[in-house]
Order: sequence, then structure tokens, then C-alpha cells
Amino acid sequence: MNGSVRSSAGLVWRHQRLMWWIFAVNLVIAWLSSLSTRATLSAVLDHSMESAKLVTGFDVGTLALLLERPDVSARTLAPGAAGAALIFLVYLLFIDGGALTVFLEDRELSRAEFFENAGLFFWRMVRLALYSAAAFGLLMAAGGEISGYAGTLSSDAPQERLGFFVNVAGKVVIVIATLWVRMWFDLAQVWVVRENEYKIIRGLARSLRVALRSGKLFASYVGIGWFAVVTFGAGVGVWVYLPHAAMGRSFLVLELVTITQIASRLWMKAASARWVALLPLAAALPVTPVDETYAPALEVTDVRLPEPE
Amino acid sequence: MEIRCWRSCLIAVAMFLTASGAAQSKPLSERVVAYQIEGAYNPKTHTLDATEVLTYTNRTGTTLDKFPFHLYLNAFQPKSSWMTEAERGGERDSETGAGWDDKHFGSNEVKSLEILGSGGEAAKDVTKQMKFVSPDDGNADDRTVFEIALPKPLPPNERVQFRIHFVAKFPEVLARTGYKRDFLMAGQWFPKVGVWWNGGWNCHQFHASTEFFADFGTFDVKLTLPAKWNVGSSGVQSGAKDNGNGTQTVSFHAEDVHDVAWTADPSTKVVEDSIELSGGTVKIRMLMQSGHMASAPRYLQALKGTMRKFDEWIGPYPYPQITVVDPPHGGGAAGGMEYPTLITAGTAWWMPKSMLEPESVVEHEFGHQYWYGMVATNEFEDAWMDEGINQYMEAKIMDALYGRDTSSVNSRLGTLGERGMDRLSYVPLADRDPLSRPAWLFLDGGSYGSTTYSKTALMMLTLESLVGEKAVLHGLRVYFDRYKFKHPRPEDFTATMNEAVGQDLDWYWKQSIYGTDTLDDRILSASSERRDWYSKQDEKKGVTVYRDEVVVLRRGNFALPVVLEAKFDDGSTVRERWDGMDSWHRFTWERKAKLVSAEVDPDHGYLLDRDPFNNSWTEKADRRASGKLAGYWTLLTQWLEQALSWLA
Repeated sequence: MNGSVRSSAGLVWRHQRLMWWIFAVNLVIAWLSSLSTRATLSAVLDHSMESAKLVTGFDVGTLALLLERPDVSARTLAPGAAGAALIFLVYLLFIDGGALTVFLEDRELSRAEFFENAGLFFWRMVRLALYSAAAFGLLMAAGGEISGYAGTLSSDAPQERLGFFVNVAGKVVIVIATLWVRMWFDLAQVWVVRENEYKIIRGLARSLRVALRSGKLFASYVGIGWFAVVTFGAGVGVWVYLPHAAMGRSFLVLELVTITQIASRLWMKAASARWVALLPLAAALPVTPVDETYAPALEVTDVRLPEPE
Repeated sequence: MEIRCWRSCLIAVAMFLTASGAAQSKPLSERVVAYQIEGAYNPKTHTLDATEVLTYTNRTGTTLDKFPFHLYLNAFQPKSSWMTEAERGGERDSETGAGWDDKHFGSNEVKSLEILGSGGEAAKDVTKQMKFVSPDDGNADDRTVFEIALPKPLPPNERVQFRIHFVAKFPEVLARTGYKRDFLMAGQWFPKVGVWWNGGWNCHQFHASTEFFADFGTFDVKLTLPAKWNVGSSGVQSGAKDNGNGTQTVSFHAEDVHDVAWTADPSTKVVEDSIELSGGTVKIRMLMQSGHMASAPRYLQALKGTMRKFDEWIGPYPYPQITVVDPPHGGGAAGGMEYPTLITAGTAWWMPKSMLEPESVVEHEFGHQYWYGMVATNEFEDAWMDEGINQYMEAKIMDALYGRDTSSVNSRLGTLGERGMDRLSYVPLADRDPLSRPAWLFLDGGSYGSTTYSKTALMMLTLESLVGEKAVLHGLRVYFDRYKFKHPRPEDFTATMNEAVGQDLDWYWKQSIYGTDTLDDRILSASSERRDWYSKQDEKKGVTVYRDEVVVLRRGNFALPVVLEAKFDDGSTVRERWDGMDSWHRFTWERKAKLVSAEVDPDHGYLLDRDPFNNSWTEKADRRASGKLAGYWTLLTQWLEQALSWLA
């Protein structure tokens, strides 16, 4: 079955090194960016008896008072987190070429091969990401409009819950549209790698035609999306019931949640790669022919070095 | 003409006699005013066409030659002081820069104003002599106060009657009053006379951050409304009649109150109950939205618990009824408000039990029956005296009913108590405005709310740690007994508290009420050094003598006595006191033990302290909290990375 959920899951499982590397980088970047936060929190809390309220039980007021301090405020801490997110994005865009090659060819690449492919496709992945940002931006704006309209309904409509249901229904539509746009751009990424396509607009147009005929692939994306949501909810649900002082177990559970989210994203990419790789030739889009008559302008056959004086 | 004149005079005399309280129970207040208001409400235009007869008894001891009146609904117009201030500084229901919306237009238009004669004299039409004034800010476009000069001055102990034909146009609900779909909350809806106070008329314009001030008396109100609408009101309903033409006429009566409000809605469900208190049975009447019935038991539980606590700690509730109004969705601006014997609450269909917002609103608004309703302080000039003292009571009662650390939020994810909420409100704005500032002169709506409500509550809670909880509650009980049905000033409160507590606390009131100094005592340093520092011998536990030292720094200028608790590694604990007057103090001990911890305010009673994290020091570092928070911050960063990687 082309791009089936199971076969793409198998692809991710066989090449799970990718997932663990991504998770490790995700964790290390976040940890490094939070070092200064750790130092600030230590200075305030380590020798203060007030900190006990944050260990056993969790006093929201104490946390909020802590965040009122200018040295610990969200405004002070946020740039570090935002920077980490940006670095991680760049990292993923860099390895996308290598990862997709692994999925397309379903084989382990050597380190040299992996990074050669990564570097080869990096800027094209960046351009695709910028185009996708525009598309997702439009969807976010639409989501904002839905929220605004739902808010008006919540206030003005005779039925009190109408606004809530409109908001939920609207957001479901936005989520589905977001998944579809993601699938389109994943297909574009795979297309760029498989065909070594330099023209991004053409790649997007061609992958759009594929996406419009890929109902089964989209169903896989929805299924994988559901998996991500359910595992996230289950993980957070377990975490809520852990004792506040059980920090080790809490972090373990939440890091497992993080891993499942990373795995889900890779799973989607693998499904797209599988889909494109196994498309019947008749449905495949024309490949740019190689010009075999091309000859270099200069053929160097005899090199003579100057005589030393 | 003549017959009509005589008939009018007879009616006026009859009303006059009724207003004198001939048929009333023994008055609890001076009953300066007697209002009779009759009106008809048009739900299509949201207007009330009414006639008010106000009988004013001059108990001032001075001859009065003019009277000011409030027309509060005129605040809801673009050029009013209220609107301009709300646009600039925000107010409880709108943010800064919200802009003007025509649906928020409201007005109180006086069609005619007559001074009724007595003893056969004809009524004098003085409509044209009405003069709008703006005593606070000189805004000539503000029409929330007018003055009228009497044709004949009113000697002490004499009465004058005003007959005012007015049309009230309600805005779409804003700042406690107005309509939303078919729901109407009618607050500040009639022309209300000012208060003669401290030797002069006190009648301020309506501002974005002010509330109200009026005299005690009796109210008889008769309203014609659409039939089958549920009506709730201050006082008790004294009559209801179906007019047979699609309307009903409802009358209600209230005595020894200074205001009345009413509500009407065709779709509310009425929930009735009662409670036995020391003053007798009190009827509870709740008008609930059908989508909020899950909150009805929550309201009831909070209300009854609050009523019992007030009865026990402060004094009896003297009225026969309390009405609770649950505003509809979209009408939340009418919620969270108090009127004598009527309060508005607030909830939502999705409100979880872990969030105690419905409970705290009911508690707070009922509390205002005491601080505002009976002890009727000037909410324009001394807002802290009702809002703040009531906020203190809210913290006490919510803690007693729902737990000290769980009285605001009680969930598996985290907990929050009322005191914590007040501290969060107070700390960021602690140094902006003093409590004593008139409400309309605060920096902005945020500072008003933080200072008036939270700082006052924290001031009273901190006072408990200085003189004891019992002394503070005793002081409030004495203050209530002495000043119920009166209009006390801040000096009356502080003098009563000093007397009841048995201490001169003026040094405390000066800083907390009249100043903006903040309190922040911190452990600057703590150390244990060998007394024989020059010795080459090794330290030996229980043998080596140490010089233990703790330095406390007073960072803020608010000076309070400081209690320091120090613990040593031999298991001993000492508490020492410093008067807090100097900017720092060094505590020293020489003993055969090292310091392991030091804490100022070890009983955690100084809730005015802005930074509790620097109040203590431990020799050994406990990295659990910082590790936990840093770990969660790392995790959140990971999830943020994941979110942005959706683009990859």
C-alpha cells in the first residue's frame, strides 16, 4: 500500500537513529539556552525557604511572584527560548535533505553521504519553509477571524454555547487545512530531493497536483496527527496525576511525549517519501532530461609548471 | 385646572405622610430621603419613562439653598469625563483605547423638575434653572451632576419635595448597568440627590474608577414591564399586578438603604431559599440564567457561608431579603456589583469547580452589604474603606470556607489562595498611589484596583500579625456597630481601630493609608565565623565557638518591627526583634553552633512585603525548586522548538 501508515512507520523504525538524533539536538539546544535561566533561578531560590512552596505542591501565587521579578520575568527569559527554537528550525532544515534521502532510498547513508545531501538541499528547504510560512500565516489569520467571530457569538447570540461550537468547528477545519498544507509541502520537499529540482515554484506546482490526488496519503496524515494528539494528551494526563515532588518521573513522562511528537513528524515525512517513491511511473511527473552533449569549454591535457629561476 | 391642582396637592400630601414613615418599622438610619418612583420600561428602546418624588428632610443643622443631583447614566456619552477617562486609562469592563460604540450610549434626561409646595402652595417648575456642574475636572461636557437652587431656603429639620419626570436610556451593558438582549440590569437609573457631608454638599461627577455615595432613606418603586418577565430588586416586592395588556406592574419597597437597583429578564429561573441568622430569617432569592444552573448550588453555598461568618464576626444582617442576580452571557459587565440587598454575581457554563470565581464574587458582593450598604463610606473619596476592608473580609472568609491556599484555585495543576491573589495584584503597582487618594485621581484603572482592593486587604492582614487576628476583627466589629447607617471618614476608622485594639497605631496608618512607601525586608548576609579565627586548631562541633551574624536590610521605606528567627546546627532556635527604624540591623550571637537558617517574618504575616524570596537564608542549598523550574523551562523550550519546526 503506497504511503500507508504501517509501512511509513516501519521506515521510521528502521531508521530510528534519525529520531534519536533529532531528539538529542532538540534537548541539548533547549538545555543550553536555559542555562542562564537555571543560574538566575538558583540565585533566587536555592537558599530561600520560599522555594519549598514550589516543590511539594505547586503554589501558583509563589510562581507568579517569582515571575514578577525583573530578572526572572517571561520578558527576560523569552528571547533565549525563541533563539533556541530558531536554531532548531535551521538544524532541521539542514538535515531535511539527508533525512528524505534516507526515506526515499530506504537505506542507511554514511555520514559523508548524509551531510552531502543535507548541504545540497539546505537552501531549497529554507525557501520552501518560507513559502510554507506564508501559507500557514494565512491559515493562522483565518483561525484568528474564526476566534473573533466566535467571541462575538459567545457574547451576542441567544444560545450561550453557540460561539464555543462555532469556534471548535472552525478550528477543526483550520487544523485539517493545516495538515493538508503540511502534506503538500512535505511532498514538495520529497520532490525537490528526488528530482534535484532547483525551481521551487515549479516543484510546488507539481507537488500540488500530486497532493490533490493523494487522498490516501492525507488519510495517513490525519491518522498520524491523531496519534500525536492522543499520545500528547495521554502523556500530559499521566503527568497531571504524578506527585508534584516526583520531578524525575515527571520529566521522563514529558520527554517521552516530546519523543512521540518528533516521531510523529518524521512519520509524516516518511509517508510522503514512501508515497512519491512508489508512485506508478505513469503517474510520475516528467524528469528534467540530462544534456549529454554538454562538453566542458576547456579541456586541460597538458599542464606545464614554470621553470624555477 | 384648579381641581387638578388640588388633586395633585392631595396626592403629594399623602405621599409626604407615607414618606414620613408612618407605616414603617423602627428606623435603623436617619432616613434623610424618601423616594417614590413610578415608571414604565420599554424593552424595544431600552428606556424607562418615570416620575420620581423625592422628599428630603434637612438634618444637616444648616439652612440649605441649593441641591445637587447625580445623573449617572449621562456618563455613557462620548464627551463625558467617564468615557474620556475609560478610553485613556481603562476601567473594569473595557481596556484603554477601546473606542466609542453607539450601543453604549446612555442618558438620564430630566424632562421636568418641580419643587412641590406644602400647605396649598402650587408646585414650582424649576426645570430651566437646572445647571450642570463639574466640580472635579471642570469638564463642561460632563452632565452627571446638576444643581438646582431653591426658591426658598430650607431651614433645618424642614422638608422639601422634588418631583422629577425623567427618561432613562440604558446603554448596552457597561460598567454595571444596561441591557443585553432581553436582560436589563438597572443600576444608578434615577436622579439621586447628593450627600451633605462634612459641612458641605458632596456630589462628585461620575468617573471611570468611582462608585457611589448617597443618603439613607426609604424607597417605594413601581415599575410597569412586559408581563411574565422575572423581576428582581432591592428591598422586598410589595405588589405585582398583571395589567392584561401584555404588561405587569411590580412594586417594591426598601427601607434604611441608600440606593435601589432592579433587574428584569424573561428567561431567568428563580431559586429561592432562606437562612437563619442572629437577626432572624433572611430570604434568599436568586435569578439564574438557565445555562448557569450548575453554579446555583455554588452561589448558595458561598452566600450562606458568608452570611454566617459576617453574622458571627461583624454583626447581624438587618434586612429581610437578599437578591442575587446572575447576568447572562455577554452581560458580564453587569456582574460583580453590589446594591443594598441586591448583588450581581458572575459565572460561565464552562466554569470548573477548581476555579472559585463564582464563590468569591458572591462573597465579595455580599460583604458590601456591610461595607458600603450599612457603613456607607464615600466611595468617591475613600474607596478603600469599602472595597479594601471588604477585600480583607473576602480573604478571611474564603480562607475559612475553602482553605487558605486553595480559596481561589484548587486543582491538581496548582493552587492559589485569596492572599496570593491579592499579593499578585499589589506587588507590581505597590508604589504608585496611596490608599487615601480620591478614586478618580489614581494613575490608572490598574493602580486603582490594585491599591484600593489588594493593598488595603494586605494592610489589614499585615496588621493581624502586629496586633493579632482577634484584635483586628474586634476592631472591625466595634467600627461596624458605631458607624452603621452613617458615613464615616478615614479618621473615624483609624481612631476606632486604635481604641478597640488598645494601641496607638497612627504610625502604621500614616505609612499604609497615606503613603506609597513599600515594605521589603531582606536578609542581606548571613555567616558563621570562628571567634578564634587566628587559631590553627581544627574546628570541632560542639566545642568551637562561632560568631554567628545575620544582617537584615530594609530595602523599602515602609518601617515595621522585624522578627528574625535563626536556627543553629545544634538544633536550637532563637527569635529576636528589631524595631525596623534604621535602614539595616546586625543580629549577632556567640555560641558553639553555626547558623543553618535565618528568616525575617517567620510567621509569614507581613503580606505587604514585596519580595518574599529574600526574606530567608539557608546555609545549605536546596536545588529542587530551581532544578524543577529550570527543567520545565527546558521542556517548554523543547516544545517551542517543536512548534516552530512545523515549518521544516
